[in-house]
This record gives sequence, structure tokens and C-alpha cells, in this order.
Amino acid sequence: MEKFSYVNATSLEQVTSLLSDSGWGEVMVIAGGTDLLGELKEYIETPKTLINLKTLPGMDSISADGSGLKIGALATVADIAMYPEIQNHYTVLAQAAGSVATPQIRNVGTLGGNLCQRPRCWYYRDETVDCLKKGGELCYAIEGLSKYHAILGGDPVYIVHPSDIAPALIALGASLKIVGPEGEKTMSVEEFFTLPATNPYRENVLEPNEIVVEVQVPHPKSNAKSFYLKAREKGAPDFALASVAGVFEMEGNTCQAASIVLGGVAPAPWRSTEAEAALTGKMITESVSMQAGEDAVKDAQPLNDNAYKVTLTRNLISRAAMMAAK
Amino acid sequence: MSEKKEYKVIGTRPIRHDGVDKVTGRALYGADFQIAGLLHGRVLRSPHAHARIVSIDTSRAEAYPGVKGIVTAQDLPDPADKVADLGEGAVNLKYLCDNILARDKVLYKGHAVAAVAATSPHIAEEACTLIDVAYEVLPPVLEVRQAMEPDAPLLHENLKTTSLGETADEPSNVASHLQYKKGAPEKGFAEADVVIEREFVTGTVHQGYIEPHNATALYNPDGHLTIWCSTQGAFTVREQVAEILQYPISKIKVVPMEIGGGFGGKISVYIKPVAALLAMKTGKPVKVLMNRTDVFEGTGPTPASYIRVKMGATKAGKVTAAEAYLAFEAGAYPGSPVGPGAMCIFAPYNIENVLIDGYDVVVNKPKTAPYRAPGATNAAFGSETILDELAERLEIDPLEIRLMNGAKEGDRRADGPIYPRIGYIETVEAAKQHPHYAAPNGKKHHGRGVASGFWFNIGLESSVTINVNVDGTINLVEGSTDIGGTRASIAMQAAEVLGIPAESVNPSVVDTNSVGYTAVTGGSRTTYATGYAAYEAAQDVKRQMIARAAKLWEVDEANVQFADGEFSCINGKEEQISFRDLCARLGETGGPVVGSGTVNPGGAGGAFATHVVDVEVDEETGKVEILRYTATQDAGKAIHPSYVEGQIQGGVVQGIGWALNEEYIYDAEGTMTNASFLDYRMPTCLDLPMIDTVIVEVPNPGHPYGVRGVGEVPIIPPPAAIANAIYDAVGIRMTELPMSPERLLKAIGTI
Ligand SMILES: Cc1cc2nc3c(=O)[nH]c(=O)nc-3n(C[C@H](O)[C@H](O)[C@H](O)COP(=O)(O)OP(=O)(O)OC[C@H]3O[C@@H](n4cnc5c(N)ncnc54)[C@H](O)[C@@H]3O)c2cc1C
Repeated sequence: MEKFSYVNATSLEQVTSLLSDSGWGEVMVIAGGTDLLGELKEYIETPKTLINLKTLPGMDSISADGSGLKIGALATVADIAMYPEIQNHYTVLAQAAGSVATPQIRNVGTLGGNLCQRPRCWYYRDETVDCLKKGGELCYAIEGLSKYHAILGGDPVYIVHPSDIAPALIALGASLKIVGPEGEKTMSVEEFFTLPATNPYRENVLEPNEIVVEVQVPHPKSNAKSFYLKAREKGAPDFALASVAGVFEMEGNTCQAASIVLGGVAPAPWRSTEAEAALTGKMITESVSMQAGEDAVKDAQPLNDNAYKVTLTRNLISRAAMMAAK
Repeated sequence: MSEKKEYKVIGTRPIRHDGVDKVTGRALYGADFQIAGLLHGRVLRSPHAHARIVSIDTSRAEAYPGVKGIVTAQDLPDPADKVADLGEGAVNLKYLCDNILARDKVLYKGHAVAAVAATSPHIAEEACTLIDVAYEVLPPVLEVRQAMEPDAPLLHENLKTTSLGETADEPSNVASHLQYKKGAPEKGFAEADVVIEREFVTGTVHQGYIEPHNATALYNPDGHLTIWCSTQGAFTVREQVAEILQYPISKIKVVPMEIGGGFGGKISVYIKPVAALLAMKTGKPVKVLMNRTDVFEGTGPTPASYIRVKMGATKAGKVTAAEAYLAFEAGAYPGSPVGPGAMCIFAPYNIENVLIDGYDVVVNKPKTAPYRAPGATNAAFGSETILDELAERLEIDPLEIRLMNGAKEGDRRADGPIYPRIGYIETVEAAKQHPHYAAPNGKKHHGRGVASGFWFNIGLESSVTINVNVDGTINLVEGSTDIGGTRASIAMQAAEVLGIPAESVNPSVVDTNSVGYTAVTGGSRTTYATGYAAYEAAQDVKRQMIARAAKLWEVDEANVQFADGEFSCINGKEEQISFRDLCARLGETGGPVVGSGTVNPGGAGGAFATHVVDVEVDEETGKVEILRYTATQDAGKAIHPSYVEGQIQGGVVQGIGWALNEEYIYDAEGTMTNASFLDYRMPTCLDLPMIDTVIVEVPNPGHPYGVRGVGEVPIIPPPAAIANAIYDAVGIRMTELPMSPERLLKAIGTI
């Protein structure tokens, strides 16, 4: 890693003014550091200044009331996974957070860092590879090894978004608060993430001088059931080969509304409107759930090595739907 | 059962002598080593898998503030193309040197090219980026079958195939071809009612020891060189460094620190000679540490392989013939474990007609190193799967077919040796009688598989000295790195002889100046051979103590007897003295007692294992869950049963990782794309059930307590046993390792 200076944050104003005008990469924020330190050690990022967000007061709190949740960007992944109200009423979020990495990383990694973490693509993470995501010409996954890459929404960069928490938040209809030099703004988590067709270099709309400060999650309907299913090669730590965050509003076996967001298969968390349409208003049977899976992957475009993810995604979606019907 | 010997210490489970230090974090590992004036070294590694080195310009790095010295292959003595015997078999010295620091060519990504010593690790790392190396990049060859093609890019212009003693004229990537033949295979296959043949492919797998390699070297103006390091054998480090640097062994002292795992991967040296060169160049102590990527890319994994196995059997289940073709990737330099693979492949069975061909092939990957029963796991994946298929076709229980064909005392292995008393059949019987094998296994997508394994184990040289203390305890000095509890298992053998508790032994693993020559902790030899040396040293102590008692009582030595920790007089005098009390009287009877024992035993008994595994295959995700695992193994005599169980469980876990997840994933340029523990997926406790162990004890006639090596054989059966269980669950024969979700889904054909 290269030398950098280290600043403890004292206020949001100070943070955004330090970030101002530097563009990407000169000045960076660090929270738990579980993602960023790896990038620094591998020379993927070489900032001159790091701002430690952990010294910002009060930004690690979680609160819940009848209308929903407020989670500070510095809340740890472990705090989210263990928060009783989240476990009881926002199951998909607790399960997603609980599936992240290892207990040690969950204790240190933060919500903001999890949403803003960078891709795990082995070409992106290789210092010697000048890939499209880093400003080069090519996405090497297209011709190269693509076992862990995108089957949906890839063009022109086939990374997958690594966050488990993001699909769960989107499925729950969450929004997030961003602070920049001009003050704060709120947007849905879904709008926050972008596909490479829009911007091949970043995974979200954040500007270099903005940070995420809070996530708000509306309380799910009383008839909602939610699950996070994550397929991986080993128990832990392991990123998703494919995952499904599903929120189902059920009347008996009939699905009144479904919110289905996929992880591990696209460069951004991927809402499957096709699967949602296939389930909404239907009595969930084996064939309905399988149809939802089929519909979700009908436009999938696998690369050389990742066709198995199509099968996996299809099967996970129908499994989630069947769980909702139980 | 034959008469069972009664032991006081052997077979008990005392707390290991190094336990407290290790659980409290006080044990000192190589990276913990500190010394005044320490410099930090860093190795610059090749970004290319195959390239000619055109030039290396170190001037910018040398000018960098804080840099104290830089070395390249030019600083190594020019190695003649000579063969050195370094205990682990003959090694071509030029290959050994070129692997330490590349001279003309780099042969794999991660190949060391230069090294820097600087005042801090960061400066050393930054300085590495200032070394300008010009490469002429060459096409790499990354797979064994491709490397064997006549038009494949050549790694070594002078390497010519040695085939059954003859050397070819043309250069090739095939370093050697060996063959073992027994009986008449064609005739055997003609007698068979069923013949099955399949191809198998296994990936490159790393030992995955938690502690990366490390070395600190100090060079004194008087010419003495000291190296503190993590190693499986301090003496082998001394030998290798002496050969590579062409330096007298009498001037090299190697101090072994605690070791955080080795599994065969910490026998070859990598950064130790580099640290020594940097220390010689700078006159300062230099510490060199690897990070995980260095370990994956720059040290020896175990080979990927291509294997073909053919076996035939009669309707009654008698295996009449077996054939194997084993092509192993040696990595950048010759020396894959294809030999041991060939020795072990059909070894659990008495088959009349056998033909085994083995090929040692160089490819642009790191030079392979031993890994627990090197070569045998690859080979058994083939043979144990085919045997399972034969049993299925013949509708014979898979353990039954193993019993029907199992090797016994007096049977001859295809590579020559005739078995002394062995315990293979006993391991199969134990598996058959285990409640696991009787438990129902009928659920959908659940399957059960079995497989066996053989490892020959080795003896080699060991030395032990024992210093008797006046309070009745002993200090036991040994040269064997303690990886899996051998301080305890060695101490217990001495304690048994002297009739004292294990806790009365203080074992120390010492440097190469302080104990007699001792070969590596490897080949499952330590409890066997160093334990044997401890037994001999204790016998020596006993003889001397008898002489002291005789002196005390003024009787003839022949009249003193020693039993149960008590010396007594047997010629009428009513004299008796305990070991402990006699220790207090050594001063008055002639001074301290020091015993020694040295051995080079030939009778390392072979070890057999039979495993039973239940899996659940998730057909929708391709994930294989290990539900239940039982491993039976002949340990000869379990000195400390907990550490035998630990070895079995550890071997099984590594075998499970090899079976399901682990592999080097290379891109077309020869870059390992998954060189971290995140992307190289080793199993954790979440992936494993409790692993049940059954220790079978068929004493090894070649050891005073019957010990057989136990460390290696348990890694052999798991991949085949799991493949057989997957077949039982979903009806698909997996023939490629690892059996990852991707491969399973592909094979299930649901894509
Ligand atoms: C071994 C391992 C396994 C993992 N497995 C998983 C997994 O299974 N699932 C999963 O989802 N994640 C996984 N991760 C990623 C981990 O969860 C995230 O790294 C963690 O949540 C990030 O939080 P952090 O606070 O440590 O982020 P940091 O490393 O501090 O920051 C990550 C990035 O986000 C930026 N950032 C941080 N906070 C903010 C903010 N408030 N506003 C704007 N930008 C910000 C930083 O500048 C940096 O670029 C794994 C990581 C490791 C090392």
C-alpha cells in the first residue's frame, strides 16, 4: 500500500469539504475498512488522504418505530443482523446481513461500507490488469474467466455487485440519505445503484464529494413474509454465487404483491419485475413458482463459465416463492 | 486378539507440552522474531508465467532512501548442473537455485526475480516497484496434457525425457516416465467379466497452512550464518541453504521457530536463502515474510493431474487386472509426486496383474511440493471411484469388494515390496461394523460413499538426547519440528521406558547445532522415527541408571532390575530405589546422566484407511453437504490417541476441501486469479460435520511400540468417497476435482 495521511472526521461539513474537488481516489472515506484496506494493499486505490468516518458521532445508531427503521451508515453489519426488531419484522434484512462474510468482519464492517464496497471481480482486483472498470479498454471477463460474473445487465462491464444487504433493502423499499457540499438528499436504494451502461466506472450515483449517512426502511405490511436465500460454494466467508431477496405479501397461498431482488448475478442489485409479475395475484403452486424462476432468467446472457448461475437463479427464485406459500 | 501389552503412559491423553504456550499466544513463530538492527526484505516476483529475463536494472531501487541491499540470481553462486541429495531424494541443483531467484527465465507467475533489504517493510515493498526488469514474454503452457504435446512451448531447452532408464534425444516437457508392472495385465483383463475405464482430472491444490513462510538471517563477520525460520526440518534447511549458497554446513545454524502448519509445504526452501544472501550483502540481520499471495504464487502446491484408470473383475468380485496412466504436473521444474502416486494407487488390493505408467511433466506453474501423502490422493480418486463402479455393476457391497480383494501380509505390491503385517482388512471391517454403515440412508438426494487409501510412510534418521534432572524429571532434546503434537508423542515413548509420567518430560525442539541430525517432520515419520530415537535414548538412560544403582548397592549390574519406575536388586539384597530417588543421587554415583539415541529405521509400517461419508446433494444449487463422516485407520499403536484423531480429522477436512472447493484457477496467461483465502475456498467448521474416527491398532513390527505413521493417509480417501456418495445420491459419476456447484449443476444437466 502507498503512504497516505489520515484524518479523523469531526463533522459532515468537514468531511464533504475535504472531499470537495478532489475527484475520485485522491481523498477517500474509510469506515470499517474491511473492503478498502484490501484495495489499498493491492494498489487498486492509492489515495493521498483517508478520512475516518468512525469518529462521526451518532451515525451508528439503529432506531425503529411503527412506521419503519432508521439505520445510520456506521451501524455495523452485525448490529443489523442481531437487532431484534429487524429479526422479527424485516427478516430478509436480518438474514442478508447475517450471511455477510464472517462474524469478525460483520463486527467491523458498516452498512455504508457494505453498500459502497467495490466489486470483487478478480480482474478488477488485480493490480496489473487495466480493465474497463478501472479506465482501461476491456472487460476481461468477456473472453476470460467468468465463473463469478454477471448473467444479467452486464454490458459493458460484467462485475457482479457484491453486497448482500443491498438487495434486501431494495426488496423492502428502503431509501437512503446522502450528504454532500450542497446539503442532504434522499433517494430510493434502488435508484442509488447504477448499471455499467450508465457508468462503467462506478456502481452507484454517489459523487466523489458525497457520502451515505443513513438508510430508512418502511415497515413491511403485516401480511408480508420475507427471505434471503444465498447460494455459495462454502459456508463462510463467501460472496453469493446468486441470491434472492424476496418480500411476499400473502393472503393464504395467494401472493398479493411480490418484491424480488437478485444479488450476485448483475452489476447492480437486480429487481426481477418478471418474477414479480409471474407471482402477483397468483396462488403459489410449484408450477407458478417455477414459472417465476423461468421468467426471471429469460433474458440472461451468460458468459463462457457462468451458465450455471442461470439455473441457480431460477431455482432460488422458485424456492423462495415456495417458502412464501408454506 | 493376541496378548495386549499393558502400558502406563502410551495410549493415555496427557496435555501437550506446548499447549499452554500455543493457546495463550505466547509461542514464538518466525514472524515474531526480533533482533537489534533488523532490516526487512521483500521479494520482487515475476508478473509473467513464462518469459526470458532480458535485463534487470536495480539502480533506481538502490538509490531509494532506506534501501540497504538488493540481490538477484547474479548473487548466487553459478550452480553447476549437478545432482544434490538433500534427504528427500535427489535434486538437480540448478533447478533448486533457479527456483530461489530466476536466472535466465521466469517459469511461473510469482517466480522470485530479485529481493530488497530496507529499513522498513514498506520501503522494501516500494523499492521493489523501482526495479526495472525487461522480459521477453513467451507463451505459457499450463496444463499437463498440453505440455506433453510435441509442439508445446518448452520450459527447459535441455530437459529430455528419461523413460525407464533411457534418455531421449529431443527436449521435452516430460521429465520422466516410470512404470510398474506385475503379472500379465492383458491376460487379467481377458479373465474379467466387467471392465471399467475412465479418465479423471484433478486441480492444483495448496496445503493452505495458516502461517506464511518467514525467515530471518544473521551473518556474522566470522562467517557464521544463523537462520530463524518456520520449517518442517531445520536440518533440511541447513542442507539446502548450504548447497544453494555453496557454503559449509558447519557455518550454518538453523533455529526452528514454532510452525503454523506445513503439510509438506515447508520442506523446500524459498525465502530462507534469500534472507541469507541479503544478510551477507548488508551485514545486518534481515527478515523476509511472505504474504498470502506470495504463498499461493511463490511456493509449491500439490500437482494438478490427468489420470486414466482401468480395472476388471470377475462376476464373483475378484479384481483380475488394473491399469493406470498418471500424468502429473511437476510445476516449473521436474519432481512431481507421480512416483508415490504410482506406488499407492492399487496398494490396498492384492491384484495379480497390474500396469502403472507415470509421467512427470513440467508446466508454467510453481514447482510443486509435497502435500500430505503426495500423489496418492490424486491417484486414489481414480482407482477408488472405478472400484466403486465395479462393485455397483456386480451388485456387491463396496466394502465387501474391498474385503474380497484386500491386501494382507505376504502380498506383493506392484512396485515390488512384500507386505509385512498390515491392517488394511481391519480398517474395512471397522468401517463395516460402525453404526454409521448400518444407519439408514434412503432419503432423496442423500448418498453414501466409501473409499480406502494407502500411504507407505517413511523412516529416516533421527536423534534424541535426554538429560536427567536431579528431581526425577528429564529434559528431552530433539530436532523434529512439532506440527501436530509430536512433543507429546515422543516424550511419552521416553516416559514409558523410564516409568515416569509424561509430565515429567520437558521436550525441546532445538537448533541444528544442538542436537544430532534429524530428518524432516514429513512422511508421517516423526512419532515413528524420532519416537524410536527417544525410546533408544531412554533405554540408554535406563542402562546408565542401572549402573548407578549397582554402584550404590555395590552389586553387579546384572543383579539390578528395573520395572515400573523402581530399581531393585535381585540377588538376595533387599535394595530398592525409585527412578526419582536415584536421580537425586547421580552426583555421588559419578555425575550427571545423559542418554542418547539415534536411528535410521527401515520398518516404517504402511498405513491404511477406510472412510464412509454421507452427503446431501442440492440438485437446485449444486451444493454438496457433508452430513456424516467416519474414518477408520490403522495407527499401529496410538501413542496419544487425541493426536491420532486430530491427524485423521485434519486430513479428512483437507480432503473434503480438495474434493469440493479448492483449486488454483488460472487464466490463459498463467495468472492464478484466486490467490487469496477469500477466493481459494478452504472449508471452515460451517462446512463440516463432526468427523468420527476409529483407531485400529495392528502393531507395526518395525517399531518397539508398534507405531505406524498416521499423518498422511487420512487425506487420501475423501475425494473418492465423496464422489462415490454423490453418485449414490444423484446417479452421476464426477470425474473432475473439485466437485464445485458449477460442475455439479453442469453434470446434473439442468443448464
Ligand atoms: C473476507 C470478506 C468476505 C466478505 N463477504 C461479504 C459477503 O458475503 N457479503 C457482503 O455483502 N459483503 C461481504 N464482504 C464485504 C464487507 O461486508 C464489506 O466490506 C463491509 O460491509 C464494508 O464495510 P466497511 O465499513 O468495512 O467498508 P470500508 O472498507 O471502510 O469501505 C468500503 C468502501 O465504501 C466507501 N464508504 C464507506 N462508508 C461510506 C459511506 N458512509 N459513504 C460513502 N462511501 C463509503 C469507502 O470509501 C470504500 O470505498 C466481505 C469482505 C471480506 C473482506
